[in-house]
Amino acid sequence: MPPLLQASGLTKIYGSTSALQSLSFELESGITGLLGPNGAGKSTAMKLFLGLIKPTSGSAEVMGEKPYESVEIRSRLGYMPEHDCLPSAVTASEFLTHMAQISGLPPSHARTRAADVLRHVGLDEERYRSIGEYSTGMQQRVKLAQALVHDPVLVLLDEPTAGLDPAGREEMLLLIQRTGSEFGITIILSSHLMGDVERTCDRVIVLDEGRVTEDGDVANFTRETQSIQIDVDDHRSELVEALSNRGIEAIIDGASLVVELGADEEYDTIRDAIVETDARLRRLAPRRHQLTDIFMGDTQ
Amino acid sequence: MTQPQGEVFDLGYQRYDGPREGRMRARKALWTNGIRTALGISRGARSKIMPILFFGVVMTPAVIVILMASVLGLTEDLWGRGEYFAWIILPIILFSAIIAPELLCPDRRDRVLHLYLVRPLTTDDYVIGRWLAFFTISLILVYAGQLVLFLGFTLAADEPFQYLQDNWLDVPRFMAVGFLIAAFTTTIPLAVASFTPRKAYAAGFVIALFVVSSAAAAILTECDDENRDGGEPSGECEPLTGENAKWFDLINVGFVPIAVGDLIFDEKDKSPLDVRLYDTRGGEWIVVSWYLFLVLGPALLLLYKYRRVEI
Repeated sequence: MPPLLQASGLTKIYGSTSALQSLSFELESGITGLLGPNGAGKSTAMKLFLGLIKPTSGSAEVMGEKPYESVEIRSRLGYMPEHDCLPSAVTASEFLTHMAQISGLPPSHARTRAADVLRHVGLDEERYRSIGEYSTGMQQRVKLAQALVHDPVLVLLDEPTAGLDPAGREEMLLLIQRTGSEFGITIILSSHLMGDVERTCDRVIVLDEGRVTEDGDVANFTRETQSIQIDVDDHRSELVEALSNRGIEAIIDGASLVVELGADEEYDTIRDAIVETDARLRRLAPRRHQLTDIFMGDTQ
Repeated sequence: MTQPQGEVFDLGYQRYDGPREGRMRARKALWTNGIRTALGISRGARSKIMPILFFGVVMTPAVIVILMASVLGLTEDLWGRGEYFAWIILPIILFSAIIAPELLCPDRRDRVLHLYLVRPLTTDDYVIGRWLAFFTISLILVYAGQLVLFLGFTLAADEPFQYLQDNWLDVPRFMAVGFLIAAFTTTIPLAVASFTPRKAYAAGFVIALFVVSSAAAAILTECDDENRDGGEPSGECEPLTGENAKWFDLINVGFVPIAVGDLIFDEKDKSPLDVRLYDTRGGEWIVVSWYLFLVLGPALLLLYKYRRVEI
């Protein structure tokens, strides 16, 4: 049985510009983050997976079929674009029913699916209001709902938290996690926000200038390091000095202190230094790698 | 204390295992949605005003004629079939200019088109679906009055069956002419609408096209009384542009489907149009070819424009 999504040497060249070079990976399930700065090739990759553009060389296959050649396979794909894409004059219920039919569902099934999916994205009560009256957060939910309404096997989300306030972003990320874990739908999430990918994805593919620079499980990138992170509310410089007097070098990293761990006894020494300086301790824990480290070349 | 009558369960997300009808369902949905959009169905009252108004305008001449026929007992020579189309072509053009862009412009302005094209639809499917939707409405509009006329004349006749026997050929004829008019008034406004995401610009351009072309043709084929035979208003006219006037008639694009319709109805003499090309050898074919160019040209342009859409 072919993989759900398979990219083999996927390359796209526009004139003299290489937008994507030899992208190869397979995808079966879970949430995969496509991470990279603007112009890294994320949108080009999404368009190739959706069959909107033809690859210069290589291939992208969904369930063994090439979306560029077989438009029918697109009835099993969902897509949430980054930009606005909703009609303002119709209700969410009518819009989703129509989109379900455009994906091939018969009218009666389309109506049922529209109601179900709107309930799942939390718009049950609002479904008979015109989309133009919705807040940005509600419109993002409608965008996600239209990508799910035909129950696709693979959903591509392009910058799903763009334009949302912190609370809206939080809700959207939770919804994406639920979609991937509870609904069992495979997701590709394209983002330039590492926090979004770290929060939601199982796997990350990092693109830069059209090339894959990293590919692996998010858990591997965020595994524990040999460092201890100390967060205190005050007396930070006194604490650094107290640690230094005890032979431990602490490095200031943003709002935290980082100490390279030697023997386990060093925990006791750090504790004593904190007690001595009367610093209010908020956190003392092994430090984890962050996805930002990928870009800093610090994943070892 | 009352006992609970039932409980509400959250069934969670349900996978869909019902039928999937693919591309053909998508095309049907696009067609249905286009008809609903054009008629303002499931939209506010304002969206319904224009379709109702134009339907009324198109039906009024037919209803008046039938009332006259039934009251005065006139059935013959009251109105040629082609004459009815000549009367309603202006409101149909206005209707198409205002409503047809509604089917294309908002999808590009709101970028809903992107959502269509990531589903089992090609740009050709989209364009053809929208074209068929508006074509269907235009057909209903042009056929409705003719049906009323035909049924009215039949029922008003002294011997309805005899009337039917004598005039049955009018039915395929008005269907053919209605088809040509609907194709014409659907294609040009949609082709214009493919160039702009703003409905008002598209509507304004289409109306201007018909008004300016009509005015230009009128000026270039003007016939002063001085040029009439003997200076009499009813005398034979010699247009200011002389022999070339027969070609300048073609500039008036709105008259072209009516001119072709007169050929089909075999009513060249009854026509309110004065098509000078009909006096030229092969003139009929020139008019028909000009009609085909005016419909097929914009149709190809429409398809081409959408194939070039960047997603």
